[in-house]
Amino acid sequence: MWLPVLGLLLGLLLGFMSDIRVPPEYSNYLSIAVLAALDTLFGGIRAHLQGSFEDKVFITGFFFNILLAAGLAYLGVHLGIDLYLAAIFAFGVRLFNNIAVIRRLLISKWSDSRKKA
Amino acid sequence: MKDKQFMFATIALIIGGMLAIQFETTNNPITRDTRDLWELRADLEKEKQRQQELNEELQRYSELLNKYKTEGKDEKIEAMEKALADLKKQAGLTTVSGQGIVMTIEPFNDELIGVDRPLPQIDPDMLRRLVNELNRYDAREISIDGQRIVSKTPIREVNGDIYINNEPISTFPIEIKVLAKNNEKLHQKIIASLAVEEFIREDFLVESAPAEKVILPAFDKEIKVKFMKPAKEET
Repeated sequence: MWLPVLGLLLGLLLGFMSDIRVPPEYSNYLSIAVLAALDTLFGGIRAHLQGSFEDKVFITGFFFNILLAAGLAYLGVHLGIDLYLAAIFAFGVRLFNNIAVIRRLLISKWSDSRKKA
Repeated sequence: MKDKQFMFATIALIIGGMLAIQFETTNNPITRDTRDLWELRADLEKEKQRQQELNEELQRYSELLNKYKTEGKDEKIEAMEKALADLKKQAGLTTVSGQGIVMTIEPFNDELIGVDRPLPQIDPDMLRRLVNELNRYDAREISIDGQRIVSKTPIREVNGDIYINNEPISTFPIEIKVLAKNNEKLHQKIIASLAVEEFIREDFLVESAPAEKVILPAFDKEIKVKFMKPAKEET
């Protein structure tokens, strides 16, 4: 349980320490990629709680979603349409859904354990 | 179970890194321009200091000059001032006079002009060529319409007007005053020169006459020096 949190903290630390900065014209892609990654992460947590977790789906989803989001944004820039909004919308909605499901699952787990006790 | 944990941890690590980079990027964007500004400021500071130093140097030298002036002229100073005056004369910064020739350029026949033909136009190339030919025949000093020709004099056409030393000359006749080593020879040669022929071809009348006394004005503009630097003083 604590290992992923540790990983997150370590990643943050590394990111801040390394002082890597993306050129401003690419920061859009990075933000969308972050969104996609978060979506995948929460999707994974949800699947884990629901007991339907599959590592292949998780890993491929992670990279594929990031690439798809960034690719969509890139295409949008070149077509002159704000296609990244589609990615933001889709990932945003899914993020909220996933978090809501996780919350419900946790609540039901918690109340179950209290009933048992 | 352990595998899953590691997987989550790895993904979390990547997300953490991405988040941190995004944070860094949005909070302190790449500061290429501000660094330029700093450089500019530093340069400005340096230049200000330099200006101050130069001012001090100027003050020192003017004090020195004053001292020499009051103390009576040193031979060295006198020689230097003479050299300076000579150089100024050579550069065309002084009014000169003497025996020379006066050339005039005007449209060939005033009465015909305006009826069926327009006023002939002088091309700056023609004037430049004339100046070159005059120099070839050992002209020492030249002025065109009161504009002294020095080594950096521009002769240009701007909106149909001829500009010499960035001053327009527009009225005919155009008067060219020349001081030469041998005025008579110059007079003979220039009348038969290709440059003058060119003027005649363009419907201009060119006359040249020796004069007892011609006065050439000084070049009164600033001479811009682009490709010279003061040599470092050896100490």
